[in-house]
Amino acid sequence: MKKLSKEQIEKGLSVLNENKDSKFITHLNSCVRCGLCAESCVYYRVTPEARFIPAKKVDLISAVYRRYKTFAGKTVPGLVGAKDLDDEMAAEMTDLLFGACTVCGRCTMHCSIGVDISYLVRCGRQMLSRMGLVPETLQSTVNAALTTGNNMSISEDDFVETIKWLEEDLQMEVNNDDARIPLNEPDKKLLYTLNPREPKFFPLSISAMAKVFYAAGESWTLSTRMYDVTNYAYYTVNNEEASIITKRLYDEMENMNAGTCVLAECGHGSRAFRWEGPNYVQKSYPFEVLTSVELIAQYIREGRLKLDPAKNPDKVTLHDPCNLVRTGGILEEQRFILKQAVIDFVEMNPHGADNLCCGGGGGQLAMSEYNERRIKIGKLKADQIKATGAKVVVTPCHNCVDQLTQLNITYKLGIQIKTVAEIVAEAIVLE
Amino acid sequence: MPTIEIDNRIFEVDGDGFLANPEIWNQEVAELIAKYDGITELNEKHWAIVNIIRSNYEEKGMAPMIRTICKETGLRLREIYELFPLGPARGACRVAGLPKPDGCV
Repeated sequence: MKKLSKEQIEKGLSVLNENKDSKFITHLNSCVRCGLCAESCVYYRVTPEARFIPAKKVDLISAVYRRYKTFAGKTVPGLVGAKDLDDEMAAEMTDLLFGACTVCGRCTMHCSIGVDISYLVRCGRQMLSRMGLVPETLQSTVNAALTTGNNMSISEDDFVETIKWLEEDLQMEVNNDDARIPLNEPDKKLLYTLNPREPKFFPLSISAMAKVFYAAGESWTLSTRMYDVTNYAYYTVNNEEASIITKRLYDEMENMNAGTCVLAECGHGSRAFRWEGPNYVQKSYPFEVLTSVELIAQYIREGRLKLDPAKNPDKVTLHDPCNLVRTGGILEEQRFILKQAVIDFVEMNPHGADNLCCGGGGGQLAMSEYNERRIKIGKLKADQIKATGAKVVVTPCHNCVDQLTQLNITYKLGIQIKTVAEIVAEAIVLE
Repeated sequence: MPTIEIDNRIFEVDGDGFLANPEIWNQEVAELIAKYDGITELNEKHWAIVNIIRSNYEEKGMAPMIRTICKETGLRLREIYELFPLGPARGACRVAGLPKPDGCV
């Protein structure tokens, strides 16, 4: 790492000065060192070194806070555990806050006094972000989104050709030449979004969702200008960049005059657009936002989708994306759907709000720098899956799908991995 | 810089095992990377996929759309996933010697 300049350090420290409410300093200075967060962390569980304990990660930030913001820390830093924000500290913060945290929030849930640890980790990432220390591979994904409009740099022509191809496929699948995947059609009820990896490499989930919309008789469209549901600036914690990405989808909702924005199966994207988004763009949304999981559950409840679970006879388990269950409020819908769509549904242990991260969250999947750790922490998930005896793992998050695909090979699980839309599409009975 | 060793040959790679220097790629390197992933022999279909990915990369600097791979090779989507169990990105693009694509792959 290049030696930090004075300006860089000042930029990092600026995060400590500008929090608008008391949340940051309160949470930063409240840890009672009970240690309950240790076992909640997938990193600490596979590598039980003290530095991987979530409270220790937070302590890096609070040590810097004490050094620059308290009288004792300024005068007798050694006595109060205050530390300089220097090269060594920045390297340690980068390694632990970017390289050893999936921002899954499980430690936050287990914290005995309710410290929002994952929020503090993001504040620490924000310091590093201002210092220009975001791992290169993660920043590269944000840059692709900023410069090309989607995080995989897909050209408009390529996108349109892919959607047309999938439309022909849909027509064959449902045996109706009038079946559509609408593009850029204004005044529809829904604007649907995608994870760019779907059109680029894994389009079965687009076909599946198109079949769901077809069966439900939905009024919907995709937009070529903005369809990317991801926002990796949420994980680099560069709020200016996060705002630009959020604003694009916000503007496209207005442009297309759609009533509801439907978010594709994406954990962090759902959180970033739905819950962080109004703050990023500094205005409340004049439209509704729903995840596709909630929408599919709604279709089933309203009788708009008829499913035959016998079409999914294998044993199925569910992996909950952290950003949907712990910070998304989506706990029951995915279970309700699976109970309607498959014959043999079994839960992992633990599951739901207490679920273990797959290891790919927090931007880890994009960060080659920490690949080895990512695969290592994934063993906990692999063991959970094995214990269920399931042949199929369903997860409403494309990022989790990719991590599970790698775990499947590394730990020889012999499973199939599907999105919720994919398993539902298999079970659809067309009238 | 991390390295991987296959059949006594050492390759510099990124953390995900993608070649650090895509220009050193050739058929033999492709076979070795495939072997590392548990694909003991690259058949005609594997090669058709690898070649279209490689030529697209050399021409445009990035991996082709899965649509292009299907169109150019005449293979069905599901066949491609079966041939490269790690998928078109972490599987096929890696064998074709590309840098890791951005995004959730």
